[in-house]
This record gives sequence, structure tokens and C-alpha cells, in this order.
Amino acid sequence: MKRFSAIVSCLFLLSIFAPQAFAQNVLKLGIPLPLTGTNAKFGEIEKKSYEIALGEINAKGGIKGKKVVLEFEDSQGKPEVSRSIVERLIDVKKQPVVFGEYSSSCSKAVAAVAEERKIPYMVVTGATDDITQQNYKYVFRMNPTNAYYATGLMSFLKEVVKPKTIAILYESSDFGTSGAEDMVKQAAKVGIKVLVKEQYEKGAVDFKPILSKVKAAKPDVIYMVSYVMDAALLMRQIKELRIDANLYAGGAAGFAIPEFIQNAKEASELVMTATLWSQQIAYPGSREYAEKYKKMYKDYPSYHGAEAYSALYIIKDVLERAKSWKPDDIRAAFKATNMMTAFGPIKFEDKEGYTNQNFMETLVMQVIKGKHETIWPQKYASAKYVYPIPKWRERK
Amino acid sequence: MKKFLPLIVFALLCIVPFFGLSTYVMHILILVLIWSVIGMGWNILGGYTGQVSFGHAAFFGMGAYAAGLLYQHLGISAWWGLPVCVLILTALSLIVGYICLRLRGAYFALATLALGEICRVAAENLVDFTKGNMGIMLRERTWVDKTWYFYIILLIAAGTYILIKMVMESKLGYYFVAIREDQDAAESLGINTTFYKTISLCISGVLTGIAGAYYMNYMGYIDPSTVFPLSEVSIATVVVVMVGGAATYWGPIVGAVIMVFLAEEIRSIPFIGAAHQTIFGIILILIIMFLPNGIVGDFRKLIKPLSRAKRECHHEFN
Repeated sequence: MKRFSAIVSCLFLLSIFAPQAFAQNVLKLGIPLPLTGTNAKFGEIEKKSYEIALGEINAKGGIKGKKVVLEFEDSQGKPEVSRSIVERLIDVKKQPVVFGEYSSSCSKAVAAVAEERKIPYMVVTGATDDITQQNYKYVFRMNPTNAYYATGLMSFLKEVVKPKTIAILYESSDFGTSGAEDMVKQAAKVGIKVLVKEQYEKGAVDFKPILSKVKAAKPDVIYMVSYVMDAALLMRQIKELRIDANLYAGGAAGFAIPEFIQNAKEASELVMTATLWSQQIAYPGSREYAEKYKKMYKDYPSYHGAEAYSALYIIKDVLERAKSWKPDDIRAAFKATNMMTAFGPIKFEDKEGYTNQNFMETLVMQVIKGKHETIWPQKYASAKYVYPIPKWRERK
Repeated sequence: MKKFLPLIVFALLCIVPFFGLSTYVMHILILVLIWSVIGMGWNILGGYTGQVSFGHAAFFGMGAYAAGLLYQHLGISAWWGLPVCVLILTALSLIVGYICLRLRGAYFALATLALGEICRVAAENLVDFTKGNMGIMLRERTWVDKTWYFYIILLIAAGTYILIKMVMESKLGYYFVAIREDQDAAESLGINTTFYKTISLCISGVLTGIAGAYYMNYMGYIDPSTVFPLSEVSIATVVVVMVGGAATYWGPIVGAVIMVFLAEEIRSIPFIGAAHQTIFGIILILIIMFLPNGIVGDFRKLIKPLSRAKRECHHEFN
């Protein structure tokens, strides 16, 4: 018994001192992500992508010669937990820069902490417009804001579909509400009439009451902003109810991930979605990343994955360019960023009321023969778009 | 000794900011205190008066939104939410109590459950008034440093503790307990049960609402799914009190310590990923199975093996 306890205490001591022995050549970065809860699917895609980037970076010698170790912390999609995580990263672990989080509300919580503590924070996926409209000095955002998510789709509507009316369905979340509001604004600008604008409970099991309303209104375009399961269910019920519109369009997120096609099956055919990235796009490194991800996890990643993958490269770039790893030097390095990533060009600009915001073109994908194909803008297209789309009863 | 315990704990907490703890630890302590206040608030209704509520998120969220909306629409400091929410929540409690407290047992629990959900759906849909799911964000919080936040919530928690102790040692407290033990018997003794249950609900609601208003000031951001959720606030409140011990002064505080600290500790064990929730769930189940009256309620049971060992030691010496 005595020997046993001696061994245990030795192991215990070892576990305390061991990490410090290697600490000099290791850079530990903690990343808050929702690994449980409703957003866990996206957290998982991002975690896998961070790990792919991590493998590549470490294989090439890490960041400034230091081996990178990532520590994922589960924020459960709750802002107060994200806040705890980031307080600890900044205060206890003395991390020089913070990045990560998935949802807009968690990103806001993290942004507030980072700004107060004057530690640079890079938003990776939080899309609500106002995160970068607060004049925050230490908050940078690599993904376009919600207001820009649908610009690609809008130009497709203007040039090809030319609709007169639209129905907007959106989930009750930060992302859903602001996505819908932005669509209303853009539709008003081009003179498209909004016939129906309905919010639904996220994770609902029956959309028929809302969809009957849509059916009665006969809109040209049905635009939906939703997460994973809702997106598939919406399309399945639209098919069941035979609601024929000229175009079914999704506002990224749930419509742009492979699970959408798996869950909605043939109901997903010819559905379009706005997206920030696609696996066919010809940015340097993006196809390699997509293939690698597919080889490891049997599916193509969504744009969330590409963002996470590129995020680590941006952090690497910034940390290597920074004069020192003091917050202000890192902030200056962020400001000077001008690089190409698998996700697209990254540059943090102050314009149109935003600070430290990356602006980029957004794309449109369509499900053609059970696969997401990039169709718009034409210079990035991997397939010709299918329009007009046949009515439900004419389909096989 | 036992008499001075609250004072000792309070004095210790008062000097905590001078230890130079990291802000992370301070954040956790603040969360513990917030949850203690919510737990104590729930306890007066659910523990002492025996009216189990599954809708305390309604009061918490209402308090938070009172503070947030004052800031949003009138442009005054969100700290005004603390006094203002007392009025709003008293009104809400009176209305809710008038309608729901005629119900008993499970029916009352279901009515409160509905109340929480109604509040959430309303906050989500009144976009012009509450900004819906986009939430309310304070442009700048009052302090970056956590010391003052800590003292304010500490004062709120201490005030709550004293208030509850005063209420429970007065005639009012005896009425509450009588209602819990047997409502019909209480009625036949001449206690106006609906009236006293409503008072209990008012105290409970206002305390929870103050915690909500503080939460808005402290976190600087709220949206309906963070302050009105069923599982993360309403149910969590019940669990805090159940784990600590219902109808005890210290139960909610101990429960809050366990719920926040333990959850945080387990969550930060490296490399277990999403398994932390399973582990935490199992621990909660074990506590509730073996200590059905909570840690404080079953404290004797908990220390029995220890005291027995001590006694045996004595025997050996004798």
C-alpha cells in the first residue's frame, strides 16, 4: 500500500512538473468552441479543421520554432461559459491572442472581454453585424458579416431570377434574426416585395403552419435562414406540401453543410444557398484542405471548417510578423495583415461603419445531383446553374 | 461558533479581493454569488413554502431585461435596473400569484413552466422593443476591474441571506412552513393561503430579478436564450437548491458553489472533450440519490461515518 501511494504521488509530481519541462518550445493556444449543445455540429467541424491546420503547421516547424498545442474548451454555446474560458486564457494562461467561438452571442461575450483587457481577439464565425460596429480596437473579424452573406445570392437574384416577391423564414436566434433583417433591407433596395416574414422556434418538428401561410402567399422566392436539422426538415416539408416557388434559397449555415443533403435527400435537389466558401473554389490551398478533410472524415467540410483551418494560419502569420508578443504589437500585426488563405483573401479594414472587418465576395451554391456545386459568381462556378427549376410534380 | 459562521464567511469574502486572485477566479466567485442569490430566492418559494417553480427564468430574465431596456430605450445606466426591477417583479409576481397560486402541486409547477417559456417567446418576438434574438449589449461596462462587481453582488447576497433569515424567523415564515406541511390544515387555522403564497412568490421573484439585473450589468450582453432558457436557468435553479438542500439557509449557497465550481473544474480537465457533461451529470445523480435532502440537509448523514470513526478512536484510547 505504501509503495502504491509512493508511486501515485510520484506520478502526481511528475504531472505537475512535466509540462513545464517542455514549456519553452511549446505554444499552447486555448480555443473556446461549442462541443456540446445545439451548435455542437459546427464546433466539431471547426475542431477537426483546426487539427488539420495544426498538423500541417507543426510539420513545417510550428510558429516561430515553437510546437503548437491546441486546447479545445467546451463553451456549450453559452456566453457566460465562453466568458469564463476566455478570462482564464487571458489571465491564468497568459495567452497573447484569443480566437475561436462559433455563435454570434458567444463571440460577443468574448469580444467584450478581449476589448476590456486589451487582448486581440479574432472572431472566426460569429456573423452578426454589430460585433465589429462597436468601435472595438482589439476585435478583428475574418468572416464577412451577416449583411454580406447574401450579396452573392442577391446578385444572382437580380441578374437571373428577377423575382417580384419573396418569403423569408428564419430561426429564432441572433444569426437568424439579423440574417432576415438584412434580407428585408436588401429586398427593399431592389424592389422585391416581402410577402411573408416568419420566425420559428429553432429545433421545431413541424413547420406546416408557417409553410401553409407561405403556400397561400405564392412567393417567387423562398429564403430561409436556419441551422442543420431545421434546414433539411423545412425542405422536406416544402416538398410534401408541394409548394412551388421559382427558387428555394438558404442563407448559409444549415444549408451549406453536407448534412443538409444527407438529411433532406431528394428534397434538397436544386436548392441554392449563400455561402462564404465552397470546396470547389480555387483559392490556394483550399482544394487540398477540402480533399484532406474528406479523406479523414468522409465528407467535404462546410465554410465553417475552412474558416477555422485558415484562422490558425492567420494567427501563425500574425504571431510571426508581430514585433513582440505584447498585445499592442500583435494588434499592429493584425492591422497589417494582408494574406491569402484557403478561405480567401484576409485584410482587416475600417469602412462602412465597421472596424477591423474582413470584406470578401460571397458565393452561391446549388445542390445538383446530390452535390453542392458552386454556381455564382460565374468566374468561380464549378457547374452551370440549373434555372428555372422544375415543379415538384414534374420531378421524378 | 455556529452563530458566527455567516459573519465569518462574509468577512472572509470581504477580504477576497485583496488576495490578488486572477480575474478568472473572481469571475467564478461572482457566478457562485449570482447563483446563490437565485437559489436563495427560489428556496423561499420552493423550499420553505413548498411551491415548486420551474419558471424562475421568467423572473431572472425579467430583471435582466428591465436593466437592459432602461439602458437601451432611456439611455440611463443599467444599474437603475436593480431598483426598477423590484417594482416590475412585484407587479409580475402579484399577477402571476393571483392566477397561478390557486393551483396546487404539479399544476402550479406546470403553470410556472409555461410562464418561463411565455416570457422567452415574447422577448424573442417583440423585436422592436427587446431587439429580439439580437440581444441587448452594453456599449461599455462600468468597470473593467472585478472588485466592485464582486462587492456589489456580495452585498446583494448578504442582504438576501439576512432578509430570508428575518422572514423565516418571523410569523410570516411560520405561515410559509405551515402551508408547505399541510395547506388544508393551514387554511383551517385561519391562514389566507393564497395571500401568503403570493407574498412568498413576491419575495422570491424580486430576489431572482435583482440577480438578473445584476447579471445584465456584469455580463454586458443578454438575449432571450441566455436569460430565459428552461434548462440553463429554470431547471438549474432547482438543481442548485436540491443539491445544496431545500429549506435550509446554507443549502442554496453550497449548491451554487458545487454547481459552478465543480462544473468549471470538470469542464477544464484537459482532453475529455464533451464527456464533461456526462461526468457532471453522474455526480449530480449520485448526490441526489444518496443525499435526497441535499448536502446541507443531510449533513449529519454525510459526517456520520467520520464521527463514528472518531468515536472508535476514543474507545481505543479508553
